[in-house]
Amino acid sequence: MRSRFGADAPLIEETEPEPLPGAPEGADYEVALVSLNQWQLAWRRFRRHRLALFGAGLFLTMCVIAIIGPFLLPYDPLDIPYPVQYCPGSETQLAAPGCPPLTPGHPLGTTGSLQLDLLTLVVNGARLSLLIGVGASLFAATIGAIVGGVAGYFGGWVDNLLMRLVDVMLSLPTLFVIILFAKVFGQGDWRVILVVFAILGWMGIARLVRSLFLSLRTEAFVDAARAVGVGDRRIIFRHILPNAMSPIIVATTLSVAYVIIGEAFVSFLGYGVDAHYQPTWGNALSKAQNYLQLGNWWWAFFPGMAIVLTVLGINFMGDGLRDALDPRSRE
Amino acid sequence: MLKFILRRTLLAIPVLIGISFACFGIMYLATGGNPTSRFAQNPRVTQEQIAAWKHRWGLDQPWPIQYCKWLGACGDKPFLINALPGGEVEILGLDIDLPGGDNGLLHGDLGYSINDGRPVTDVIAERIPPTLILMVTAWVIWVTVAFIAGVYAAVRRYSAFDSAFTIFNYVGFSLPTFWLGLMLIAFFAVGQPVKWFPASGMWDARTVPIFGTDAYWEFFGSNPAYALTDLARHLALPVFTLVVVSVAYDSRFIRSSMLDALNQDYVRTARAKGLPERRVVFRHALRNALLPVVTNMALEIPFLFSGAIVTEQIFSWPGMGRQFIQSVGHDDTTVLMGILVVGATLVVFANLLADVLYAVVDPRVRYD
Repeated sequence: MRSRFGADAPLIEETEPEPLPGAPEGADYEVALVSLNQWQLAWRRFRRHRLALFGAGLFLTMCVIAIIGPFLLPYDPLDIPYPVQYCPGSETQLAAPGCPPLTPGHPLGTTGSLQLDLLTLVVNGARLSLLIGVGASLFAATIGAIVGGVAGYFGGWVDNLLMRLVDVMLSLPTLFVIILFAKVFGQGDWRVILVVFAILGWMGIARLVRSLFLSLRTEAFVDAARAVGVGDRRIIFRHILPNAMSPIIVATTLSVAYVIIGEAFVSFLGYGVDAHYQPTWGNALSKAQNYLQLGNWWWAFFPGMAIVLTVLGINFMGDGLRDALDPRSRE
Repeated sequence: MLKFILRRTLLAIPVLIGISFACFGIMYLATGGNPTSRFAQNPRVTQEQIAAWKHRWGLDQPWPIQYCKWLGACGDKPFLINALPGGEVEILGLDIDLPGGDNGLLHGDLGYSINDGRPVTDVIAERIPPTLILMVTAWVIWVTVAFIAGVYAAVRRYSAFDSAFTIFNYVGFSLPTFWLGLMLIAFFAVGQPVKWFPASGMWDARTVPIFGTDAYWEFFGSNPAYALTDLARHLALPVFTLVVVSVAYDSRFIRSSMLDALNQDYVRTARAKGLPERRVVFRHALRNALLPVVTNMALEIPFLFSGAIVTEQIFSWPGMGRQFIQSVGHDDTTVLMGILVVGATLVVFANLLADVLYAVVDPRVRYD
């Protein structure tokens, strides 16, 4: 059982009628039958949102592919076939454009030059791309929630200092700095890339959380908690934060999409995750541009398509979550 | 109002100081105060030469002094430069008066590129016209498209157009810019199926001189039609890329702003008076919906300068974003700091402009 004033309190007390305890079985007013908490209500609304369900399905499919896919495929993404198996018609040189899609054994075709199987690259790349996207977003949300919570709760000079820090970091062209940090600190290590995206991506959530805290800290339940002697830290994290959770969840979900695209670009440039050790959707196509001239469009197409589908799914899901968790913020 | 503008400007000062510190700090962190990685590949460079090089650049000093000098708040001696043609190490001490007046950021001088010794302001200045040509062209198109489509979608809410447009926006939102660029190159620039546009660059190197040189302008003067067509052909794909991914955001914004306005009491009043719908939409709703849209446009200005790093890289467009990526490759700390500082400062001023603009155009906003 969580705090009485926390997450279990219905989100929309003013509009939803209180569930009537002990309503007769089979009564024709549906509301009275079950008492739903905030999350159950949200799930109900989410279920009705068809695009959101579709998006969630898309995203979950990608996650499943990422987890079990690599075990089902015959190739190892890092094993360069030796001698290189060239496709009929392009057996001549290393600048061979690779097999087109639907070649037997290579349903999505192969890359240029080393003739790696594209399906293997895409399926294996899903692991790190999704891991970095979700991990960096969660990490950033944590930093943002702490900074925003502290700033919004304490106010005064703490707030001023932290928000000026946010202003400064938001003024910097983030992608530029990410590329620089990824190159210098990352050295191809995906864990560092994840952290770089997190420490340059928390500012939006911090602003959001701060504004939520500014209004929530004046609520009666905060006064009540303070009156019975609850400490600041507990008030921030156990009493106020659960009430600010919905917008944070929505913002974090949407930021997963942003990080996946960002990581793909940085890896595409060659400053992200090292293609020689671990494939991602970004580094899988990092040399694809050179082979466009040779007619190899599929090398760039399929890893990118994986990104598009995932990001589309996340965006649908995020919008559905926004409607489900915070019905008042509807357009 | 004046008081508000003044207070808002004063508030920007600590942010600007923070930005200068952050840019320096980022570079210092990134290189460990020691941007000598490019010598590591060159066995002919001795430790003494590296030490001398660092001394010339003042890199052997503690970071507070380096920061102070870069800022231009202390020190009267200009940085000395070296030149490295083709890997040969030659150390030149330039003890002359440097152009651009006093050194340092506060005097509008961003120092010298440690890669090729040119003033950073020159490096940035020559990248601004290509970036502006690309970004302003794209911006004009995407704002126009977003505006018309957004307003139309709001007026015809829930119509087939609105639904189709919403789907298009979702897709546009989800397309990675670099991938869209690659696909456009694959399908429209390499001859399968069609070869309508060049795949990269800003001018046809076989027939047109380098952009920005005197020869270019001479050529432009003698054959403007060809030069412009050539430029337009090179612009087509990057502009299209930028438009597709940017229309989504802006049109969503315009649509919701317009929907807000259409739900206001004064619109209902106007309709109740029996005004024709056309007049209600354009005179009553649109004018009020424009307020947030205008400020949103002010916030987009800095990106017109700092450029689209992704698009420029994919299409080899010689702008600011591409310069940044090239400088990252060279560990050219001074140029990187310069680009970051210029970009961030523009953001601060655009925010300021947006705030002031909002206060000016909307009399209901009170900032006291």
